[in-house]
Amino acid sequence: MTMLPPHAVFHFPWELNCLGEGKSVRTFGRLSCYEADTSRATLSCQHASKEHHVFVRTSFVEPFNPIIGAQYLVLGETETYEGFGVMICARVLSCVDGVNIALLQKAIEGQRSFFREREHTDGGVAQPAEAI
Amino acid sequence: MQADAMEEPPSILWGLDPIFSAFARLYIQDILQMTESVQIPGIYFYNSHPIYKVDVLGTVVYKRERDNFFCYGVDDGTGVINCLCWKGELLKDKDDGTGTAPAPSDPGVFDPVVELKKLKQAQQKRCRLEIGELLRVRGSVKTFRQQREISASVFYKVDDPLMAVQIQWMMDVPELYRECYDKTFELQSDGHGESAGTPLIKATNLIKDFIKQKSVSRFRPYDVQDLLQPLIFNQLRAASAEPEAAGPSGCQQLRQLLKEVLQILQDEGVVYRRVKAQDEVYHVTEQDKDLLIAVKDIIREDSKREKYSEKGCHVLHILSAVRQRHSLNVSAAALELVLKSLECNSDIVSTSDKHYTAF
Repeated sequence: MTMLPPHAVFHFPWELNCLGEGKSVRTFGRLSCYEADTSRATLSCQHASKEHHVFVRTSFVEPFNPIIGAQYLVLGETETYEGFGVMICARVLSCVDGVNIALLQKAIEGQRSFFREREHTDGGVAQPAEAI
Repeated sequence: MQADAMEEPPSILWGLDPIFSAFARLYIQDILQMTESVQIPGIYFYNSHPIYKVDVLGTVVYKRERDNFFCYGVDDGTGVINCLCWKGELLKDKDDGTGTAPAPSDPGVFDPVVELKKLKQAQQKRCRLEIGELLRVRGSVKTFRQQREISASVFYKVDDPLMAVQIQWMMDVPELYRECYDKTFELQSDGHGESAGTPLIKATNLIKDFIKQKSVSRFRPYDVQDLLQPLIFNQLRAASAEPEAAGPSGCQQLRQLLKEVLQILQDEGVVYRRVKAQDEVYHVTEQDKDLLIAVKDIIREDSKREKYSEKGCHVLHILSAVRQRHSLNVSAAALELVLKSLECNSDIVSTSDKHYTAF
């Protein structure tokens, strides 16, 4: 019997703070800072004229080739620290520099609205994506 | 996973659903939750579509390698499923592929051995994935020790540095759901084989079959009225299930249906009324010997005239001649059927798509 990790739902970087502990997520952002000695990286992203930061613990995905300023996709579990906020403990961290962020956002929104639609129409097969 | 046997369509009809023979691009969440058929294990139902093979794209989040297969956990953002990817002969022989790079040969000389080695290496590289890489799997859904998994028939690593493939996939799948998977496919068993027809179409076919089988040459409406009785009866029975069934009576409905059917048959030219009199007599066009002879005579006689000797008679000329000689009520559609029938018997010959001649 294999133990599979929980599935990681796409979230926008500005939604992470209200998720809580231990959720599996995937999100994206520009690598703005990487501290190899503490295994910490920061992804940042602009949304609604505000700069959002995603803190990432990289100890599971090291060594990796940090390119400051490049777009990264991160998949992992959220951890909350008091007075600090949310940090993602990364299982996957991959460079996707050159990705069409606007299109990606559209695709994520499209998928969400599809799930919302389906939830409304029937309660049968479909369960909300959040159900783990 | 328990399923109500009553809700499943009978297995003999599964093949009629086009999704059955396709690799369905379902969300992994749905693959995990589909109910398994009680009739035939290994077949699953999503929204009453029978499904046994799927097409999945996702990130590898778990991997294990055995002698004969890889086991990849694939995450598409809605669920994680195990994919059993069997190693072909190619992946099993370890001497090749992982070995040294091909020996340098003269550039420009095509060396099949080196090329084959390169191809093998490329294929091996595509089959061996690390966590975080993107995997595309097509295969059949299996349940092994109470766990759903995909037994891959095709699997390969997808190079997607700009996420273009993933984004396209994310946009395509909801559309596929809306257009195909979430639409219910009506699988009805109907002895007549015309399951998806309105009563009008059914009734029209019924009368046509009757005419053909009995070689009817003419009839009056009340001769065929009884044939439609079962259709109206079925309708009434269905309607009586609803509380507000206060429509016209069965007899009125029957007469109305027959009227519509006869109109369709006339429009198609299958039947025509030679004389429009109080007594409604319908002649079956193809069975009307007089009409056939009349048309044949017209073409034979007029083809001899100088005017038509070269090209033959035009359809409109034949039509007006038939109307003068035989009956005013012969329609263009009816004439077309007559001409087709005569041509099949080699009584007449078409010289173009609108001209006919006879010898």
